Amino acid sequence: MTTILNICAHGFVLGPILVVLVCNLFSRDFARRHFIWFAGVGALWQLFSAIAGYVAMRSAEYNVFDFAVLWNKDAPGAAYFELTPQKFLFLFVIGLVAFISVLIAHRTIDFNRSSYTNLLMIIILGMNGMLIVSDLFSLYVFMEITGICCFVMIAMFRSRADLEGSFKYLVMSELASIFILSGLAFIFMKTGSLRYADLSGFTPDGLGGLENVLMQFALVLLISGFALKTGAVPFHSWLPDAHQSADTSVSVLLSGVVIKVAGIYGVLTIATLFNDLRPIRASLAVLGLLSIVVGALLAYRQNHFKRVVAYSSVSQMGYILLGISTGTPLGIIGALAHVFSHAAFKSTFFANAAALHEQVGTLEMDEMGGLEKQMPITSFSSVIAFLSTAGIPPTAGFWSKLLILLALWSSGQHVLAGAALLASIFTGTYLLRMQKKVFFGKPRPELADVKEIKGTICAAEIILTILTLGVGLCYPFILLYLRAHGLI
Amino acid sequence: MHIIVYLCAGLMLVCGVYAVMSRSILRSAIGLAFSSAALSVLLYAMNAPWASVLELSVCSGLVTVIFISGISLSHSPKMEIQREYQDYERSRHLPMLLIIIGVLLAALAIGLGDDEPQAAVSTALSFKEVFWNTRQADIWGQIAAILCGGVAVAVLFREERQEKK
Repeated sequence: MTTILNICAHGFVLGPILVVLVCNLFSRDFARRHFIWFAGVGALWQLFSAIAGYVAMRSAEYNVFDFAVLWNKDAPGAAYFELTPQKFLFLFVIGLVAFISVLIAHRTIDFNRSSYTNLLMIIILGMNGMLIVSDLFSLYVFMEITGICCFVMIAMFRSRADLEGSFKYLVMSELASIFILSGLAFIFMKTGSLRYADLSGFTPDGLGGLENVLMQFALVLLISGFALKTGAVPFHSWLPDAHQSADTSVSVLLSGVVIKVAGIYGVLTIATLFNDLRPIRASLAVLGLLSIVVGALLAYRQNHFKRVVAYSSVSQMGYILLGISTGTPLGIIGALAHVFSHAAFKSTFFANAAALHEQVGTLEMDEMGGLEKQMPITSFSSVIAFLSTAGIPPTAGFWSKLLILLALWSSGQHVLAGAALLASIFTGTYLLRMQKKVFFGKPRPELADVKEIKGTICAAEIILTILTLGVGLCYPFILLYLRAHGLI
Repeated sequence: MHIIVYLCAGLMLVCGVYAVMSRSILRSAIGLAFSSAALSVLLYAMNAPWASVLELSVCSGLVTVIFISGISLSHSPKMEIQREYQDYERSRHLPMLLIIIGVLLAALAIGLGDDEPQAAVSTALSFKEVFWNTRQADIWGQIAAILCGGVAVAVLFREERQEKK
């Protein structure tokens, strides 16, 4: 089992690099024509490595698995990578969303296909790196790589006029980097180390008044930086523009996984390392509630399909932040469960967007309507994604939101729990409006020739719908499993 | 010694702002190179010689060469960006802000005396040990960064060639 775990662990670093190298060994034309195989194998490798690695880790009864790639991790002071069960969830989500992105890209991307493969693999490497490092500075390094890849991916398919979204993303991303780097510098100045192992035992007790203020300021900078990457309110302005500008295969990556790994995972790491500092939890709760309410209100005002979905992401990130803000195991599990649920239902919405764009030719909701009968698979998958987003049973989103609300209630934050519950009504409202405008109502005569999409996008919709419903139905067993292991 | 530190900090700031505000991409790249060079001196003055050498050779040297090569290869978009940029009204208050920051830095330099700046965290490890042992995870990051940079340049230039056709 340890051998399997070792192969999977090394694969998270070497796999994407290998795919890039192999893809570029062939002629550009060959790599362009067969890009789905290269990118698909890379994404599936990630997906199955995450599953196999988790099973192997549980079987070998490891709680933490340390490893190094091409160097000796046992040398004094040597750097190492580490894997924990919760990291496998993020790694799985990366694989899943990357695979869905490849399926969508097969229909939506006409040129720069080999570059898409290369960038997808590098972005996977960047996110894997963020997850497996054991040092805050290395996390920053890999976060930068992820950010640069995103910028290029947003810009690569569009004309010069549409570069505004990618430029906005670059500016906000670099602003986040400045915040995070400054915060790390302050922490390094006070603690002398940025390793998780050294920081996890850190308490502000020994610090003087001014030093304590400096430490708090450093944490504010870090939380702000990661919140910017998450797209939480009031740092959300880049997210809708970036989503709208990008090709749908890139939007699905951005919303489905990048904001979670580059943002939520960073917040989670800081909250776990500095759990003793109460202001962190309070600020996360404020950011979370603001994101839920403002994101939902802004989503209601949009008429572009992808902008509604983007603002919905802002709102849903709020629930995850609320879960983390409790600081309890139940809250963290709820947040992680919502990371998965959100990846599934948000990817479904983007697959729907790709289908609508391909078949209808627009994503302006005012120009659509009554597509339910013409596009039954897209319509059904969209309804399931809507139910999951709104937290209605038996979908995966219901259970993850329930866990977050229970965590808030049991940690004594009754007002926040009530507010989050009320805000989910907003979620239902704006998504219901979206469904009504696009799929229901009176069919438009000019859209009479529209037919259901076939091929890989349709496959993506079906896979994600099965996943959302299947995981939702299996949740009682998952909860029993977690309870048996003493996690809840 | 403090005077050098604050002088370099001020120079870095001015060059950085010039790089952002300049109407010519070429001048922006040169401004950035000067900003990096000032940072190198700053790092050396603050007892970080290895960081200073890397900053000078990579950021001030190599990156500037890449930028200037890129600019010379993409003559047409450079002109276009310059024209687009002229449409925006530049901040008239920026020089005033820079002067205020410069005065503050100078006041700090005089007020803090002439002590030798000390590194906030001292380490007994050599550069070799730090680079090849304690920061090995970042080497994979560097590999990813090089791959990403290469693909990014290829993508953006390829798109440019298509537009020209």
